[in-house]
Amino acid sequence: MTATASASLIAFGKRHRAALAIAVLLIFPWLMPYEALAVNILVLGLYAVGFNLLFGYTGLLSFGHAAFLGSGAYGCGIALVHFGVPWFGAILIGVLVSVFFAAIMGFLAIRTRGIYFAMVTLALSQCVYYLFYQAVSLTGGENGLRGINLSEIGILGFSVNFLNPTTKYYVILAFVAFALWLFSRLLASPFGAVLEAIRENESRARACGYDVARVKFIAFVISGAFCGLAGALKALHLSIVPIETLHYLTSGQVVMMALLGGMNTFFGPFVGAAAFLLLEDVLTTMTSHWQLVLGAVFVIFVLFFPKGIWGSVLAWVVRK
Amino acid sequence: MTNTRNSKRRSGMSRREILAAGAGGVALAGFTPSLFSIARAQAGTIKIGFPVPLTGPFGAEAQDQVRAAEIAIKEFNDAGGFQGRLAELLVRDDKLNPGEAATRTLELIEKDKVNYVVGSLSAAVQLSINNVTKERGVIFNSISQSDAINEVKDWSKFTFHEALNPHMTAGAVGRYAFSKFGKKVVYLTADYAYGHEMVRGFESAGKPLGVQTLADIRHPIGANDYSAFLPRIQSLRPDVLCICNFGRDQVNAVKQATEFGLKEKIKIVAPVLLYTARVAGGPEIFEGVVGGTSYYWRLEDTIPTAKAFNDKFRAANGGAVPSDYGALGYAGVRTVLTAAKAAGSTDTDKVVEAMRNLKYDFYKGPQYYRGCDHQSVQSVLVIESKSKDMKDKNDVFNIVGVETPDEKNLRSCADLGHKA
Repeated sequence: MTATASASLIAFGKRHRAALAIAVLLIFPWLMPYEALAVNILVLGLYAVGFNLLFGYTGLLSFGHAAFLGSGAYGCGIALVHFGVPWFGAILIGVLVSVFFAAIMGFLAIRTRGIYFAMVTLALSQCVYYLFYQAVSLTGGENGLRGINLSEIGILGFSVNFLNPTTKYYVILAFVAFALWLFSRLLASPFGAVLEAIRENESRARACGYDVARVKFIAFVISGAFCGLAGALKALHLSIVPIETLHYLTSGQVVMMALLGGMNTFFGPFVGAAAFLLLEDVLTTMTSHWQLVLGAVFVIFVLFFPKGIWGSVLAWVVRK
Repeated sequence: MTNTRNSKRRSGMSRREILAAGAGGVALAGFTPSLFSIARAQAGTIKIGFPVPLTGPFGAEAQDQVRAAEIAIKEFNDAGGFQGRLAELLVRDDKLNPGEAATRTLELIEKDKVNYVVGSLSAAVQLSINNVTKERGVIFNSISQSDAINEVKDWSKFTFHEALNPHMTAGAVGRYAFSKFGKKVVYLTADYAYGHEMVRGFESAGKPLGVQTLADIRHPIGANDYSAFLPRIQSLRPDVLCICNFGRDQVNAVKQATEFGLKEKIKIVAPVLLYTARVAGGPEIFEGVVGGTSYYWRLEDTIPTAKAFNDKFRAANGGAVPSDYGALGYAGVRTVLTAAKAAGSTDTDKVVEAMRNLKYDFYKGPQYYRGCDHQSVQSVLVIESKSKDMKDKNDVFNIVGVETPDEKNLRSCADLGHKA
């Protein structure tokens, strides 16, 4: 096989990254120990991909993305439970709620950089946490929001059994696939190029005439919207919204997933989420010291594979 | 996947090789489910899913729940099972996280096809498990405390609550303590649902006795330092201080109050006095603290079923005695299995009916599930921690009162929103 053939293959892969990712996800439930875990990976994978728009592509490390996952989940859940909104509308409301919070947090946070940006996002996400924690009549507070019970959902006039785990997977996959496609389009657009320009050299991007603050703000809000969609889907999947969704540990978890999978790649965060959840799931059934093993794996990756799992695989394929 | 790696080293990667690798991957995937379900027993066993927080702050209690539940399983199997079908316990770690618990419960129902679910050790976690099970029509017997699970909003006919709830425990302790130690009360409360429910339980028990609340001081859950609250509590001069928190918080709060010297004039009361917390905290710290519990092993002096259960537990666990929450694991599993036997079927609706009709005495005297909310009506023990006259190292409490099973000590069905 010639070098050109493999080069064209790589180019093919790059061009159709979203389609390839979706193709893998189509057979994904059969690769996993059980469907509920597959759906978790799907949802948290989207969460990590959305987070990576800021982290990997714009170079902004946010420690407050749980606020968007959580507000999306609560927005969707509250719309369904308290206002009887149909499921599709509830997902939309979830996304809008997280966009709302992302706009406020983004407006305040993009004025800072580096560690200050991380701290401001962390502090603001804690505000969101307490807001939802205190609104007990709507959110259930400490006990969490329960009763997001969808046994049947209507899709284009058909009634679908949402309790069937395989059906649920593919319904949620439809949303995730659309989001991944949109995300890929976004990165391939001139806007995506500006994001990377800001990451590489902010002053230079500014000198080229780009409104850096505005681009950062838009990226922040879009990232929030993707995470909000992930949250809304998570609420439908688990039929509950625990207050832990908004906890800062959830913000930390997504940083870990993105790093583990590879922050400079399109699909890396998704791979990171899958690796993280799968490892956690398998390890907990074997030992109660699973956190120790998971921590060691993480340290090894940060030290020896700074490009992450997917980043290393891609680099290896290209180099070969 | 070594094939791909070798071929890659030799040359580039052809489309054919990618296809082959892909096919290999799919084939591998075909095997994966069986790889993960080696522990699965043959068809025909009665499977009970058991999600408990093996990792996290309540790990010790959760492990005790598992040990006790295994005894109920063994007992059932030793007696020949049900129509030759043996029972099996599928333990899962819920990590004290409601989201993880929901995922694990989905796994248990969808993949492992469990017949029933028993377990949990947190209000939020049991509500999340309950939401998943009730939607799918699977029986869930909760073995941890919550008031919300009895309420009509969360409850379903598949929901059973073997544990006490905060209202019952706080009520029993309140009725004992307020009439004995005085009517002026200060609460030190962990600021979350469980803490608030405890205070509500104390206050409704205190109302007919004319109890006066001097202050309800809230502290954040997981607080380490209580010294800021103690001078204020002292200056309020209450007769009774109710410490409404759980686990480590309780140990820390009681320890600091003891060191501060609050005990000289004030009686310290905890709604749920944990056996494990007392063992961890030590005799001096807890000396004289009064609290409530669902079970204490010294019940064996008066109740034969307690003796029988303790003996089985000791034999299986090197002489250790069961803790309060551990014992609930035993009762929770045994009621479901007994009901299946009584119903003559493992069919959910028939087992629900059998559980509703069950009158049982498994380890602490007579119990039954109330009709409207499936709350287990049972005795509540009032215990006092001691540092002297201990029979052995496990003998840490005196049972100072037993509130006999009575529906009037529960929140009424109407209060919970149930009709009739």
